[in-house]
Amino acid sequence: MKITFDNTTLELKPNGKNYEVALGDKTATVELLRADAERGKLDLLIDGERVTAYVSSDGAKRWVTINGRTSLLTKQSGTRRSGGAGQASTGALTAPMPGQVRAVNVSEGEAVTKGQTLLVLEAMKMEIRIQAPMDGVVKSLAVKQGQTVEREQILVMVEN
Amino acid sequence: MMFKKILIANRGEIAVRIMRACKELGVKTVAVYSDADKNSQHAQLAEEALPIESYLNVDSLLRAARASGADAVHPGYGFLSENASFALAVESATLKFIGPSADSIRAMGDKAESKIRMKKAGVPTVPGFEGLESESDFKKAAKEIGYPVLVKAAAGGGGKGMRVVDDEAGLGEAVQSSAREALNSFGDDRLLVEKYIPNAHHIEFQVFGDEHGNLVHLFERECSTQRRYQKIIEETPSPLLTPELRKQMGEAAVSAARAVNYYNAGTIEFIVDPDTLQYYFLEMNTRLQVEHPITEAITGLDLAQWQIRVAAGEHFPYSQEQLTQRGHAIECRVYAEDPANGFLPSAGKLLQYLEPRGLGIRVDSGFRASDEVTHFYDPLLAKLIVHAENRETAIQKMQAALREFVVHGVTTNIDFMQAVLSHPDFAEGKVSTKWVEDHFKWNPPAEPSFESLIAAALADTLVPSSTSQVSSSNEIDPFSPWKNPNGFRN
Repeated sequence: MKITFDNTTLELKPNGKNYEVALGDKTATVELLRADAERGKLDLLIDGERVTAYVSSDGAKRWVTINGRTSLLTKQSGTRRSGGAGQASTGALTAPMPGQVRAVNVSEGEAVTKGQTLLVLEAMKMEIRIQAPMDGVVKSLAVKQGQTVEREQILVMVEN
Repeated sequence: MMFKKILIANRGEIAVRIMRACKELGVKTVAVYSDADKNSQHAQLAEEALPIESYLNVDSLLRAARASGADAVHPGYGFLSENASFALAVESATLKFIGPSADSIRAMGDKAESKIRMKKAGVPTVPGFEGLESESDFKKAAKEIGYPVLVKAAAGGGGKGMRVVDDEAGLGEAVQSSAREALNSFGDDRLLVEKYIPNAHHIEFQVFGDEHGNLVHLFERECSTQRRYQKIIEETPSPLLTPELRKQMGEAAVSAARAVNYYNAGTIEFIVDPDTLQYYFLEMNTRLQVEHPITEAITGLDLAQWQIRVAAGEHFPYSQEQLTQRGHAIECRVYAEDPANGFLPSAGKLLQYLEPRGLGIRVDSGFRASDEVTHFYDPLLAKLIVHAENRETAIQKMQAALREFVVHGVTTNIDFMQAVLSHPDFAEGKVSTKWVEDHFKWNPPAEPSFESLIAAALADTLVPSSTSQVSSSNEIDPFSPWKNPNGFRN
């Protein structure tokens, strides 16, 4: 079985009680000692070393904590490869976090340059500038000043 | 006489902290909550909870106090805690304000006025000038003090309206932008200019007094580990202070508090030049501090309880000579923020939230797993406090405790604080207030570890899903955790 997180593909092969895991030329023998579903806790033996991991999932996102160090991974579904189709090429700018639109500096059809501040978002008493990822034209403006927005809500589209 | 019912005009961890103190004293509690906080821990923990428009709305809070029949109000920290008009409004409503008098709050609330008072009381202040009007006034003052100077808002706090100026060429612009920022943030554009002390340590003294004239200090807190003027790690005792300096500063702190007839809990902030060990009064916080638990740890006193008890008229029974520091305590502020991305606050649902436990470990928090961290308020998730025999063992305990803290759903500064704690400068007690910005290079690992990828992959095989099949080799083992019918929480 293959699982891809972000740009990294792991191959898992069941072998009796264990799993043989391969990542490129790295390999490990993994035994799952215990799984506490309630707390998202896994006790693993990775090449003989005891590792306790906490895993939570939220859609395709995986939060993993081992020894106090937390990683945020994104699982890639099916055969789709990551990279390429990001925000920059489509020019759809989304809210990095929930907040309120403090200022809208551009209007639809306006020409913008890379790095230009298009919108200012206020969240947790901080100002976040939403900047043009490239030179182009404001194709559509999805929000108004004063509007409350959710995380990942589309704010503005820029087209080149 | 002890109060019957206290309204806590605050939210989050501090509201929870105060409610615990009330419960221990047998006092009923009233929580207030904004719309965004309907389901928050503090609203659930109190005997009564009433909706308010905002934690800053005095009328709304007083209405809640009257409706609930409370006989006292505890303001917590932040919000209206240092607002003299609120303290007055509470007292005019014949309720007791748990804190200092409105006069003390007002006297210390204005940075310029408090500085003048402190000079009169013989407390060392940073060389500087207040009440400046024209640009030439500022130039003359700065020249007399000697560059670098600090321009700051008289009504300020939190680094707003504050600029370091290296030479005369930069002064005009700094004055203008500070005044603008001060007007926007505090509605008051008065500025003061003072000597800027590089590599300064921020060391504050807890003072405590009853309403019968007993006023003592409860030693210092070293709060130099800051990012953008925001404290992140505090400890006591300070590695910088000698017993002699501690005694001098403690006496200065008590004089400062006495100069404004202070009672209840307060904090005198000093900045200390690590080269000369000169100390200067910075400001007084006329309320309970975020970092009060480390003082509780080393003195053994419950400050939140004592605030309530002295407000109820009790005598604070300890003299300065009876108070001692025992061991070493450290606090780490766990924030929902992303240190790798300019400390940008992080909001979201807490998918997982596990606090560390053990001897000498305390966690003050207002959150539990599945709670929502919103963008409406300060992103403080929890305060992790450890107490151990000495500084070295306290640092070790904190490092171990941070390794056990699990927060999923929002990004936190846990890894960042872990890196600060293991830095040699921190071990040597050399951290100054600008250290994080100027000297600390944080290099979080760019790639997730092999172990975390393995854990995520294995966890995924446990998720009951139509697309992923449980492998047959595990099906035959009846004890296999892979057969867990609950699967993983999605």
